[in-house]
Amino acid sequence: MVHFMKEYICNKIAPRIRGDGGWVEFVSYEDGQLELVFRGECSKCIILDRCLDWICQEVKRDLDEDITIKPLRVKPFFWDN
Amino acid sequence: MAFVEVVRRSMRPEEWTDLRYAWIKRSLVSRQHEITDLEIRDAVQTGENEYEYLSDYRSLRKGEMYFTPDGTVFIRGTATIPEDFRGGPVWFTLHTAAEMMVKINGRYAGGIDPNRDRIRLDPWLEEGKWTFTIEIEGYNRSKPDDERNPDSMHLRGCRQIFDGAYVALINEDLQDLYYDLTLLLDIAKSSHFDEDYRQFLNRELDQALNRIDFDTFEGAGEAVQYIEEHIYQNQDFHSSGNVALVGHSHLDIAYYWRRIHVVQKNARTILIQMRLMDQSPEFRYAHTQPYTYELLEKYYPELFAELREKIKKGQFEPVGAMYVEPDCNIPCAESLIRQCLYGQHYYRKTFGITVDNAWLPDVFGNSWILPQILKKSGVDYFVSNKMSTWNDTNRFPHNNFLWKGIDGSQVYACVPPTHFITWNMPSQIQENWDAYQDKETGGQTLSMFGYGDGGSGVTEEMLELMKRFDKLSIMPRTEHMRADEFLHRNLKDNRQLETWDGELYLEMHRGTFTTKSDLKAANRRLEFKLRNAELLWTLRMREGREYPKEELRDCCKKFLLNQFHDILPGSHINPVYQDAMQDYGELESRLDALLDEGGERFFNTLNQRRGETAFIPWAEGPVTRKGVRGYYTNPEMDALSGKTLCWDGDTDPSWLHMEGLRVETPVYRIRFGADGSIESLFDKRMDREWTDGNFNKLHLYQDTPGMYDAWDILPNYKDVEYAFAVEEGLHFTYGDGQVAEFTARLRTPKEKSAWQMIIRLFRDSPAIEVEHIVDWDEKHRMVKAEFACNVLSRELVCDTSAGYIKRENHRNTSWQKARFEVCHHKWCDFAEKSGGIAIINEGKYGLGVEEKGMSLSLIRSNIRPDIMSDIGHHDFCYVILPHRGDAVEAGINRKAYSYNVPLVRTAVESPDLDFGPLYLQAAKLSENGKYVVFRLSEQDGQRGTVKLPLKGYLMNMLEDVEGEEAMERISYKPFEILTVGVPVEGYLRR
Repeated sequence: MVHFMKEYICNKIAPRIRGDGGWVEFVSYEDGQLELVFRGECSKCIILDRCLDWICQEVKRDLDEDITIKPLRVKPFFWDN
Repeated sequence: MAFVEVVRRSMRPEEWTDLRYAWIKRSLVSRQHEITDLEIRDAVQTGENEYEYLSDYRSLRKGEMYFTPDGTVFIRGTATIPEDFRGGPVWFTLHTAAEMMVKINGRYAGGIDPNRDRIRLDPWLEEGKWTFTIEIEGYNRSKPDDERNPDSMHLRGCRQIFDGAYVALINEDLQDLYYDLTLLLDIAKSSHFDEDYRQFLNRELDQALNRIDFDTFEGAGEAVQYIEEHIYQNQDFHSSGNVALVGHSHLDIAYYWRRIHVVQKNARTILIQMRLMDQSPEFRYAHTQPYTYELLEKYYPELFAELREKIKKGQFEPVGAMYVEPDCNIPCAESLIRQCLYGQHYYRKTFGITVDNAWLPDVFGNSWILPQILKKSGVDYFVSNKMSTWNDTNRFPHNNFLWKGIDGSQVYACVPPTHFITWNMPSQIQENWDAYQDKETGGQTLSMFGYGDGGSGVTEEMLELMKRFDKLSIMPRTEHMRADEFLHRNLKDNRQLETWDGELYLEMHRGTFTTKSDLKAANRRLEFKLRNAELLWTLRMREGREYPKEELRDCCKKFLLNQFHDILPGSHINPVYQDAMQDYGELESRLDALLDEGGERFFNTLNQRRGETAFIPWAEGPVTRKGVRGYYTNPEMDALSGKTLCWDGDTDPSWLHMEGLRVETPVYRIRFGADGSIESLFDKRMDREWTDGNFNKLHLYQDTPGMYDAWDILPNYKDVEYAFAVEEGLHFTYGDGQVAEFTARLRTPKEKSAWQMIIRLFRDSPAIEVEHIVDWDEKHRMVKAEFACNVLSRELVCDTSAGYIKRENHRNTSWQKARFEVCHHKWCDFAEKSGGIAIINEGKYGLGVEEKGMSLSLIRSNIRPDIMSDIGHHDFCYVILPHRGDAVEAGINRKAYSYNVPLVRTAVESPDLDFGPLYLQAAKLSENGKYVVFRLSEQDGQRGTVKLPLKGYLMNMLEDVEGEEAMERISYKPFEILTVGVPVEGYLRR
């Protein structure tokens, strides 16, 4: 399932996020917890939680997995204050 | 007694005014009725007006989440206007950060976006009917902005909460007061205005607001009356100034959105402006880029028909002769000419007009070759904002002036004193006047107003404010007008204008010459493929073959589109890069299909003899260059001639002598460093040493320009440098009778990136070719190749693609200091009278100006807007070419063409097309099919006459015949570009 999840994030979710100037990368998936790195515009998005909910819904619909997401924001240095 | 700072914690009178203003602002809607019969459908846009639908329609309720990342939504529904709302203006309201086009009863009623949240309903109702249908196409593709309406910032994001849609009534009295307050509070808070006046305003606004009962908002009319009598009629305070206000919306064809999304952004912007014209017929709006008109015509014919009428009435003004607003540093002269040609021809064909201005508010500096190109394309006026507002070191000294180009051509120029995006606030207008530097000579100053970057434009509020400007004696005189009216009235025949002679260098965004190096390389390669394809087909016409006019024009326009100033410079999100590379790949295939006809015969498309060692692709060749096998040879081909070439099979490298890293060729004695740098380059022909320090030396610098990551290189970039590790020192790897290769393998710190350098020495040529094969995986790093030359000179000579420009390499003044990184084209040269060194590149544009010569900017790695910028595989070459004499005497420009323009595998024959020393920049069938057009460019700074091989007519760059008689000889001036049209019949007969 880890492989499927990684492929799903890379091929289905990431292109959508990139369309808005964001960036998401798969880190791990274990016991229903998906760890994702968010860069670009996502790294400073004040409503990222809404996007996480959407990813959970998409995963449920397409992979029938109930997940929680642990987001890791990686801000570029010029936003890191 | 110790000093104790008094901190005021109680509310100031100004804060009390602000509070009441906020209450008024949110109470403008006097009554509203929620529309509950709404449905929504999610989609993702896959092409221009093409969608993949992700769901069926489902109900949409207030408070629900809507929009998904990269998503489009379609909303539909019906509503009825309540009985007690009928009889006056009724509005549809929807507050959102998305961008929406709204149809009422099947007709485009208006647009909603972060800057406007309502549309008049009553004009769209059917006679006697109060029930109406709603259709909305919404796309949530907004710039994460620094310039947009701050009111919408909190709503930003890929997913939004639906705030409800309403039928609403507006409290007109309160709205009048709101506009008054918006205007006057802006002045009261702005340091651009007189302090006494601001105190007066604060006092009088408080008095006005005291007339209102804030529970019922009764008294709003009295407050308006009070402001009229006590503020507008006050004449005690005065200002000077005369500011022309031009409505405009900057529209990036790609940036934080893909090109496919601009179809809607453009339509929404135009729709909004047209609805404002319906409300305020005196409103004028300037819209650029013929490409955007093409889009509207193709996808929204109903709106386009309306647009035509508004253009006829003079309300809607097409500006900007160029097809798109291209980057104006990197495209070559012929590309810029084509921007004008296809832009103007579209305007002529569609609206019957030739636009006489170039409207380039956002481009990152402007090449010195532009004035001539504009002037010969029917353009007398040039408008570009950035130099005044974005320069980081020097204040550009003019706003309204004459711009003199490299060949001496002059255009009227306007570099407005302030940003091209303003919201028409008094403080912005006053700031414009204060900053205006040509008050005594330039007439009015230009202030553009309207939200922009992603379109949107002028709002109702901006127009309402403008109606009040004349009432305020403290404001400069203002006048709303068309762009052409401003330009003609203030610049035309104005003999007092001062002149700027030189490039319009932007002291910022210096990184855009280098960012996303793949785009730059493809741009250069395809510019020459387009040239070759057109030229070869004009020759093939003589063999009875049909010139593929549509295909070539289509290729050219798609290519021009990708020269847009946020595409080619690399300042965009990742999907825009992917789109551009896909376009380039497709264009490459289409052009290769037009060019290459196989066989063993190669054709020299240059109108100059080729004597330089060249690489010839051949599957069985002994050398691999940029991933292609082939061989090196001296083709020795005459201008525009063909020849069968084959490898001579000479595998004897005995012309080369090696002793460790010391190498001797017939031309040089060289001592290499293990990293591929050249520690000594002794020229046996000239008996001199060429190096004086780091030469062909790679430098890996920290490159952290901050927010404008993709755009900028900062002057301190050399402060932190990292060493390359030599994984495999330079060593001999191949040799034959023509070429010898030496290879070094380097690594960046922590072995993140692999860097292979191949140096090629030639038996018969002084050229030293350097190939870099890079697997790049860095963040905030930049690599430059430095060339410290044993040459004493104070100027670096740089190719512009249509002549050369000299840049001082000392740092005596702030102007030279600021030009530490410049844009050049195929070559740069650093020379003494007796000789110098040229660096000829194949698609690099960024150049460091150094005391001992130059540094070629090879690659960067920024992360905003695209986190993956430049990461991946790269393979690029340049040539180091020591020479006698200066760049012109050494024919460096010609050698650079030979290096950049490959031989084409085709058996075509050419007639005698001798244009003397002029470079045949283009040969094509004219757009009307009646002429073969030859574009000739003088690039050495010389004057003369040349006999034409075929009698032809002088043309402008729009392919209009300018002379009545066919010419046999033409005269040319330094750096002049001439266009000659030879009638097709005559050309084919010859």
